[in-house]
Amino acid sequence: MSRTRRTLRWAAAASAVALTATGCNLVGSGEDDSNDDASGENVTITVALVPDPPGASEFYRAQFDQFEEDNPGITVDVIENPTDQQLNAVELMFQQGDPPDVFRAQAEGFDRMYERGWTHSLEEFVTDEFIDRFPEGTMNPATSGLHRDGELYTLPLVTGKWDVRVLIYNEAVLRDNGYDAPPETWSELEEMATTITQNGGGSVFGYAPASNKAAAVEMLAQTAVPYSVVSEGIDFRTGQPATASPGMVEAVELHRRMQANGVMVPGWESWDGSRAFTEFAAGTIAMYPSAPWHVAEIRKLDPEIEMGVAALPVPDDGRGGYTPMKQPFQPIWSMSSETEHPEQAWAVMDFLASEDFHRAYYEEFGTLTAVESAWEDQAAENPDQAAILAVAEEGMRLVPNPKLATPGGAAILQARAQRPELKHTDAAVDAIINNKPFLPIAEALDAQIQTFLDETLTELSGTATIDDITFPSWDPLENYTPEQ
Amino acid sequence: MASLQAPARRPRAAGRPRAARWRRHAWSYAFLVPAALLFCGFSIWPMLASWWYSFFEWDGVGAPTDWIGLDNFRDVLGAGGFWDAFWHSFLFSLAALFIELPLALILAILLNNAWLRGRNVYRLALFLPVVTTTAVVGIVFAILFDPIRGVVNTALTDIGLVDSPINFLGSTTTALPTLIGIDIWKGFGITLIYWLAALQTIPKDIHEAALIDGANPRQSLRFVVLPMLVPLAIVILLLVFQRSLNTFDLVQATTQGGPNYATDVVPTYIYRFAFDPFLQAPRYGFACAAGVVFGVMTLLITLLQAPVLRRQYKAGATT
Repeated sequence: MSRTRRTLRWAAAASAVALTATGCNLVGSGEDDSNDDASGENVTITVALVPDPPGASEFYRAQFDQFEEDNPGITVDVIENPTDQQLNAVELMFQQGDPPDVFRAQAEGFDRMYERGWTHSLEEFVTDEFIDRFPEGTMNPATSGLHRDGELYTLPLVTGKWDVRVLIYNEAVLRDNGYDAPPETWSELEEMATTITQNGGGSVFGYAPASNKAAAVEMLAQTAVPYSVVSEGIDFRTGQPATASPGMVEAVELHRRMQANGVMVPGWESWDGSRAFTEFAAGTIAMYPSAPWHVAEIRKLDPEIEMGVAALPVPDDGRGGYTPMKQPFQPIWSMSSETEHPEQAWAVMDFLASEDFHRAYYEEFGTLTAVESAWEDQAAENPDQAAILAVAEEGMRLVPNPKLATPGGAAILQARAQRPELKHTDAAVDAIINNKPFLPIAEALDAQIQTFLDETLTELSGTATIDDITFPSWDPLENYTPEQ
Repeated sequence: MASLQAPARRPRAAGRPRAARWRRHAWSYAFLVPAALLFCGFSIWPMLASWWYSFFEWDGVGAPTDWIGLDNFRDVLGAGGFWDAFWHSFLFSLAALFIELPLALILAILLNNAWLRGRNVYRLALFLPVVTTTAVVGIVFAILFDPIRGVVNTALTDIGLVDSPINFLGSTTTALPTLIGIDIWKGFGITLIYWLAALQTIPKDIHEAALIDGANPRQSLRFVVLPMLVPLAIVILLLVFQRSLNTFDLVQATTQGGPNYATDVVPTYIYRFAFDPFLQAPRYGFACAAGVVFGVMTLLITLLQAPVLRRQYKAGATT
């Protein structure tokens, strides 16, 4: 055998050994790479989160550094996932057998994780002191939004009041056009927006529908019809499809008219979620309905801007609904059911729900967090935040939530979530952009929703009925209690 | 008449069984193994897996268990959104074939002229968009075409070509042509390089022979260059066709398929059903079925071109 050939064979053998070793590692050796806490050594807790809002990466790292200082023996390893792909990324981590100990899964995303059995009950860790951090009554297992089957499974970051929707307006632009207050009705909104656009000379526009999905339609419609009509196309008072409700149709028609008349800012059709506050801060838009977090972003971009925050205008014939408060809190932080260090993971979660952390988050981002004692005094003195709170107080109502009410309700809504085309959003945008009457489109959608309900109830026969999504005693103008 | 006889087969080497030949080429096969494994793992397996997944109602987590047969394919074939997206993808390809390909050839012929001063600079300038990140291209063009403060609209209104700004990316009528234009601009450089490479395969001797025979430059192009380009042109055509049919990143970075799906292409359509964060229940099985249908349709369209291309190829090859 020549020397060269022998050398090559040795090299091949060495490569094979190396590849085998790598392969073993790739498929998982079954050994934990974090240190064992039993020996009193350091434990590493992995936290999967999103670097959102801007500056969150540095904020979380600084907070966890502080946590590590206060908790020797626990190291927090942060994994940042892109906002849009956070759920997919965490799911992939679970699938690969390397899940984080603590992860962020927001709103419905939490249910995706819970239904797969990937969340750890937090019930064993909860103390009275922990519950007392949150406003009284908000941690009720039946309504909190954080409990499943009566057990606490997830922790919140923001207060339920943060779900409020507001009208953000530029006081200086309104004043320049002869208005001293924001619109209170839809016709006032249309009239003011039209005037401002006409006087704006192509550089200032009266109104923007918030994003390319015309999110403003949804926000305004919630002042006209029960929230379930807007979110599901179903009136939860009757269990019937109701996209063609007059208030819902008029919300779309209002935007269709403004689009056809060139009142709305051009180009909104391709805006992402951040463009509205950027344009508002640049002075391009006079008014737009929005989530409250835009307020802080606008202030960051232009601290001197004369910005007002008001309640959303209501239909001319009066209010028919409110921004819904389906639950006091939205899920955010969950513990992995596969964590090998639940005690230490809870220590991290406890920190993420502490008054100190919530105060720091509020001070950094201006977000009204779930532990209200962390910010209520400061917020009262901040005009922007005080205005948001005032609108939340007046513009939100507790509503029935079938997902929390019964398993049948949850099953129907889960099936409904798999049929996004039944929601009004795309049809409404189509009607607005292409100047199509919305009523016939809404009626066709209702027919499809009825078919969907019939098929779903047949499939779920025995486990769900129409009663699971029907709340006959619910008055959308009043707070709803589960006892009703 | 020996020339009419079929060439004699090489006699099988006596006493050289197949095993011996395997031994002789063992190292060649050994060196092929890593590439073959990677190809199987990252090309063949995903392709087969997507076929398999498309028969399930599956959200992408855990093993697919809910077998639904051909239902996903029925849904895809009956979805208006899929066919709209397919048509948009096809328009990208048509534009690439009928605009980008000939334009790039003309410029390649110009830039292939050894006497042209600074031709390398021109080549570089035309190739730069190819190496520019598509996300950056998307953002830059969104700013350029912005109807409020965009440079393009400002210029158009300032010189009086339009009365009011054009909503390039926000209108359902202009968004798709605008994106197609950007896609052509972005991919132009690579098609140009293909053509330049093809042009450089034509031996100088043939040009000189044509010149000696009295052919002028136009005749030389018409009767020498173009026929000789045909075999490679077919390869270039297929490459450009495939690339433009799979446009994804530009659309995702610029309009995400909007406004109101006016620029939705099949890759963004598939992406939406598999990964859209706003979709509460991902439909991986459906997305896989859409991918399979798209793949089959692409294959069919390519095969439909085959007889014509084969004829052209033969004609070119025998010229």
